[in-house]
Amino acid sequence: MTSDAIPIGHEHVPPGPPAEATPSFARIVLRRTFASWRARVGAAWIGLMAFAAVFAPFLASSHPLAMKIDGRWSSPLLQHLTAADVILLIAAFTALALLCVPVAMSRRMMLFGGVLLILIPTAYLTIRPPATVVYERYREWEAAGRIERAFYAPIPYSPSDRLRDQPQASLRAPDRRHLLGTEVHGADVLSRMIHAARIALAIGLIATGIAVVLGVIIGGLMGYYSGTVDILGMRLIEIFEAIPTLFLLLAFVAFFPRNLYIMMAIIGLTSWTGNARFIRAEFLRLRKQDFVQAAIAAGLPLRSVLFRHMLPNGITPVLISASFGVASAILYESTLSFLGLGLVDEPSWGQLLNQALGVGGTFTWWIALYPGLAIFLTVFAYNLVGESLRDALDPKLSGIQ
Amino acid sequence: MSGSTSDRPVLNYRGSPLTSDQRSLTSAGYVPLLDVRDLRTWFPIRRGVFSRTQGYVKAVDGVSFQLHEGKTLGLVGESGCGKTTVGRTILRLIPATSGSVHYRGRDLLAVPPGELRRLRRHMQIIFQDPIGSLNPRMTVGNIIGEPIQVHGIARGRDREEMVASLLRRVGLDPSFARRYPHEFSGGQRQRIGIARALALSPEFIVCDEPVSALDVSIQSQILNLLDDLQQELRIAYLFIAHNLAVVEHFSDEVAVMYLGRIVEHASAAELYSNPRHPYTLSLLSAVPEPDPRPKRTRIVLQGEVPSPADPPRGCAFHPRCPLTVKAAADADAKDVMQVSSAGISLRVLRRCVLETPPLEQKKGERGHLAACWVAQ
Amino acid sequence: MSTPLLQLVDLSIAFDTERGPIVPVRDVSFCIFPGQTVALVGESGCGKSVTALSIMRLIPQPPGRVVSGQVLLDGRDLLTLPEAQMRRVRGKDIAMIFQEPMTSLNPVFTIGDQIMEAIVLHQQVSRREAREIAERSLREVGIADPQRRLDEYPHQMSGGMRQRVMIAMALSCQPRLLIADEPTTALDVTIQAQILELLRKIQADTGMSILLITHDLGVVAENADVVGVMYASRIVEFATVEDLFDRPRHPYTQALFRSIPRLGRRVDRLETIPGAVPNPASFPPACKFHPRCALTRRLALQAPAEQTRRFRAGDEDIVLMSACVSNSPVPLNYRGGPPNTSNESDEPLLREVAPGHWAACHFTENYAAAAMTRPILDHKRLTATTATAAAPEASA
Repeated sequence: MTSDAIPIGHEHVPPGPPAEATPSFARIVLRRTFASWRARVGAAWIGLMAFAAVFAPFLASSHPLAMKIDGRWSSPLLQHLTAADVILLIAAFTALALLCVPVAMSRRMMLFGGVLLILIPTAYLTIRPPATVVYERYREWEAAGRIERAFYAPIPYSPSDRLRDQPQASLRAPDRRHLLGTEVHGADVLSRMIHAARIALAIGLIATGIAVVLGVIIGGLMGYYSGTVDILGMRLIEIFEAIPTLFLLLAFVAFFPRNLYIMMAIIGLTSWTGNARFIRAEFLRLRKQDFVQAAIAAGLPLRSVLFRHMLPNGITPVLISASFGVASAILYESTLSFLGLGLVDEPSWGQLLNQALGVGGTFTWWIALYPGLAIFLTVFAYNLVGESLRDALDPKLSGIQ
Repeated sequence: MSGSTSDRPVLNYRGSPLTSDQRSLTSAGYVPLLDVRDLRTWFPIRRGVFSRTQGYVKAVDGVSFQLHEGKTLGLVGESGCGKTTVGRTILRLIPATSGSVHYRGRDLLAVPPGELRRLRRHMQIIFQDPIGSLNPRMTVGNIIGEPIQVHGIARGRDREEMVASLLRRVGLDPSFARRYPHEFSGGQRQRIGIARALALSPEFIVCDEPVSALDVSIQSQILNLLDDLQQELRIAYLFIAHNLAVVEHFSDEVAVMYLGRIVEHASAAELYSNPRHPYTLSLLSAVPEPDPRPKRTRIVLQGEVPSPADPPRGCAFHPRCPLTVKAAADADAKDVMQVSSAGISLRVLRRCVLETPPLEQKKGERGHLAACWVAQ
Repeated sequence: MSTPLLQLVDLSIAFDTERGPIVPVRDVSFCIFPGQTVALVGESGCGKSVTALSIMRLIPQPPGRVVSGQVLLDGRDLLTLPEAQMRRVRGKDIAMIFQEPMTSLNPVFTIGDQIMEAIVLHQQVSRREAREIAERSLREVGIADPQRRLDEYPHQMSGGMRQRVMIAMALSCQPRLLIADEPTTALDVTIQAQILELLRKIQADTGMSILLITHDLGVVAENADVVGVMYASRIVEFATVEDLFDRPRHPYTQALFRSIPRLGRRVDRLETIPGAVPNPASFPPACKFHPRCALTRRLALQAPAEQTRRFRAGDEDIVLMSACVSNSPVPLNYRGGPPNTSNESDEPLLREVAPGHWAACHFTENYAAAAMTRPILDHKRLTATTATAAAPEASA
C-alpha cells in the first residue's frame, strides 16, 4: 500500500487497553434511560406490577398451595389455575430465559412469538379448572379439623372470595387479616388489587401494541410511497382522529356485553393516528437521506430498506409516544370502570374506586386510597420512564450524530 | 488485496471469464460502458388545492455523454445546474422524464424492476455527506456486508472475510467492522462509503461530490485512494464536483453544466488550457488561486444564477454572458435585441435569445464541444 | 506603526463537557490593524470559529469559559465588559457574518424588519429614516431594486443574495471590524467571487478591518493581508500573505500547500497528509502535529538514536524526533488546566523565526535562536484591481 495509508487509528495512540466494542444504539439508549433515578424508580414500580400480574394466583388465593387432607396431599391452587394464568407464567419465564441467551434480538422475538403461538391454543384447549368453586370450604375444613397441613399463599383470599361464611364481611376497615380492608361484596381489597394489575398491564400493553403496529404500517406506507397513498392515508388518519376514544368505549358498552379484548382493540384502533403521523414524517425525511438511497442503489429488497434501514432510524418518536400511550390506556380503562361501565367479573382498580362512594353518600377511604394510589403510581411510573426515554433519545443530548 | 489476481474473483477483472455479454467489446473501448442520450429530468411544480401541475423544474434538460471503461468523466457546475440530478437519474434513484441510459447496450431506464435490481450491482454511488450516507443503526460490517449477502455473493464467514479485505483495501483496520459509524471521523466514514460501493465489484461509480465535505488534508488522501482503485479495478467514474481544480486533476474528460444542459465538453487538459464557452471562462477565472500575486484578471459575472423553474429563453446563459454583449456592440442593429436582467438593460445578440445553441465541435482538439453561437 | 484596532493576548477558551474539559483555543495572540484583512486559516476543529465567536463573546458561558487572556478593543478588554456594554460593541464596533445565511436570518421576519432592527438599536433614528438607511445599505451591497427586496422574506432569495443581506445588516452601523466566518463556503464559486469583491470594495471605501475565517487557501491568498494558520487550537504560523505563500515554514502549512490540487498544474498523484485532524478531546502530547509530520520522520532517519524515539504502531515501527514527542503519556496540561506556556521542552510555541514571520516548530530554521514574541504585524497589501464583466479576457 502507498505511503499515505498509515493505518488510520494507529497514529500515536499511547499503548493501553484496546477500546471495547461499542454497544449498539439500543443498548446505549437503555443505559442512558435508566441512568437517572427517576426512570429506575418508575421501572421498579412497573416491575413490581408485572411481578404481581404474573404471579397473582400464587400471591393471593384462597386455595392452598399444598394441602394434606384425609391423608392425601393435593394442590388445589394448581388445580384451579386457569389457562390465562398458565400462559402468563410460561411466557414470563420464556422471556426471561431468552434475555439470557446470547442471540440477536430479532431472533429472540421470533422465538418468543413461536412459543406463544404454540402455547396459547394448547393452554386453552387443555387446561380446564373446575367450574364451580366454593371458597368457604377450606375454612370450614380448617374449622372441622380435616386439614392436617396446609400452605397458603401470602394473602389467603382469592379476589372473588366474598367471604360468605363470615358475617359483616363487607366494608371492613384494614386490619391484621385484611391488610387493605374489604370491599362492598366482602372480597379482600389487596387480593383484588393484585389481580387487577393484570388487567391494567394487559390493556396498556396490548392496546398500545395495536396502536403502534397499525401506526407504523400505515404511516410507513404513506411515508415511503407518497402520492396517492399519502393522500388517502391522510384522510384515513383524519377520520380516525375524529373518533373520541372514551365515548366510543361508552357506546360499545351500551350495546354489547363487556369484553376485555374488544376494549383493547377499541383503544388501539383510536390511538394509532399519532404514531402514523410520526412515522410518516420520519419516513419522508429518511427517504431522502443518502444511506437510504445507497441501500436502494445497492439493489436491496424493499423489505430490507424499510425495516433495516428506515424503521430503526424513525422509530424513536413512536417509542416515546408508546410509553405515554400505555399510561393513557390504563387511565381509559380505569375511567370506564370507575363509571361502573367496565368489566364485570375481572377485578380492576377503577372498579374498586367506583365502590368508594357508596349509597347515601358514604365514603370508604381504604377503597379510594389504595386503588387510587395504584392507578396514580402506575401511570406516573410509565410517564417517568417515558420522559427518561425521551431525554435519552434527544439527539442534542446524545453524543451520537 | 493489492495487485493479487488469485484472490476473490469478484474483485478481479483482468482475465476473468466472460460473465456478461459484450464485456470484451467494452474493454477494448469500442462500445462505451455507459451511453447517456438526451436525458431529461423534469420535476412538476404543483400548486393549488388539487396539486395541479403548473410547470416544471427542468433540472436536467437534454444531457448526452458517453463513459468508457476505466475512465473518469468530470461533471462540474454550480448549484442548480443539475449535475447531482444527472448522477442520481442514471442510477434510477430519481425517475427520468425522458431519454435513455444504455449500460452495455441495455437501457437502464426501460428495464423491468427485477432485472434492474440485478443490474444495480454494476453501478454504485458515493455520496458527499459522510454523516448522512451511513446508516447510524448498523455496524460498519453490516453496512458493507448486507449488499454482498443480498446479491448472493457470499455469506457467513466468507462474507466476513470479504468485508475485512474491503476495509483493508480502503485503508481501514478490519476490526472496525464491529463499530458504528458515529465513532469515525469524516475521512474514515468516506472510506467506509467507498468500501460499501466496492463491495459489489461495480464497473461504474457515481461520485457525488465525494470530497467536498472533507478537510483539505483528507481530500487528497481520498482522491488518491479513488485513483488507485480505478487503476487496479478499471472502474469508470462519473465525478460530480464544483471544485474545478479537483476535477481537473482527477478527470480524463470534463463536462460543464449550466441550468440542466451541458455547455462545454472536452478532455480535462484541453478544457483548462483552451476553454471556449464564456461560462467556462468565467468559472475558471472565478476560482481563487492560492497565489497572493495573481497573474490573471478576473471576470466577475453579474447577476444571480437563474432558477431552473424559469430558465431564460434560447441560450440560458445570455442574461449574464459577456461574449454576447461584446458581439452585440459590433453587430448590425437587426441582429441585436434589448433584454433586461437583474434590473439592468442589456443589448445582446438576437440569436442568443431566440435559439438554443447546440453542442458542437469548436476550434481545438477533436471532441471539444461547446454550445455557443458566438464562440468559435 | 499605528495602534492595533483589536488585540488578542494569550486567549484560551475551555468547554466543560460531561467527559471533562476540552480546550479548543489555546494561547491565541494576534492583532488586527485598521484597514487590514487578517485571515485565520485551518481545518475543521482547529479552533478558528471559536476564536471568532469569543471575540464577540457569543460563546455560551456555561459550558464555555475563558481560561485566560484578553481581547483588547482600543485597549479596552472586551472579556470583562458587562453584558450591556458588550451589546453596544456588537454591531456598532464589531460586526459578524456567518457561513449559513439561511439559518442566520430569521425566516419569519422580512429582510427590511431585520435590517431596520439593527439600525434602530444602534442609532437614534426614526423608522422612516431607518428604512432609508436600510435601502441605501442594500444598494451598496449590490442588490437591485432594494425597495421591493426590503419586504421580501429570506426564503425568497438566493444564497448569494442572502449573504449580501447579511453583509448589509452587518455594515448598517458602520463597524470598524467585520468578522467573516466562512462567508463564502456555502456559495457557488461565481457568487463567491462577487461577494469577496464586494467586501474588498467596502473595505477600500470605509477603511474597515476584516477578520476572515476560512479553510480555503485560494480565498486567503486573494483577500488577506496577514495570515494566521491554526492547527489543534493553536496558531502554528503567522506571517504576511506573501511571506506565507512564498516560504511557508511550518511543516503543516508546507504539507497543506503541497496537497491541494492547483488549476492548470496537473500532477499524477497528489501529495497527502496522512492521518486526520486530532480530536480536541484527545490531543497527542507535545507537538500536536507530530503524528502526521513528514519533517520529523525525515529528520529522524538521519538523526543519532538518542535524539529519536521509536514507536510501535500496529505491526510497523515509527521513528520520530524526540523533541516532537513528549515522554509523559498523557498531555496533562491540556485537560482543562491553564496552559503551560513556559514548558519549552514539550509543545513548540510560536516564535519569530524571521522578521515578521512566526512559526511553532522545533525544527524550523532559526527556531532555537528565535525570540518568543506575540505576533503583531501592520501590513496592508497593495491590491491589484479586478476587471469586472464589461469585456471578457481571452482565455484565463
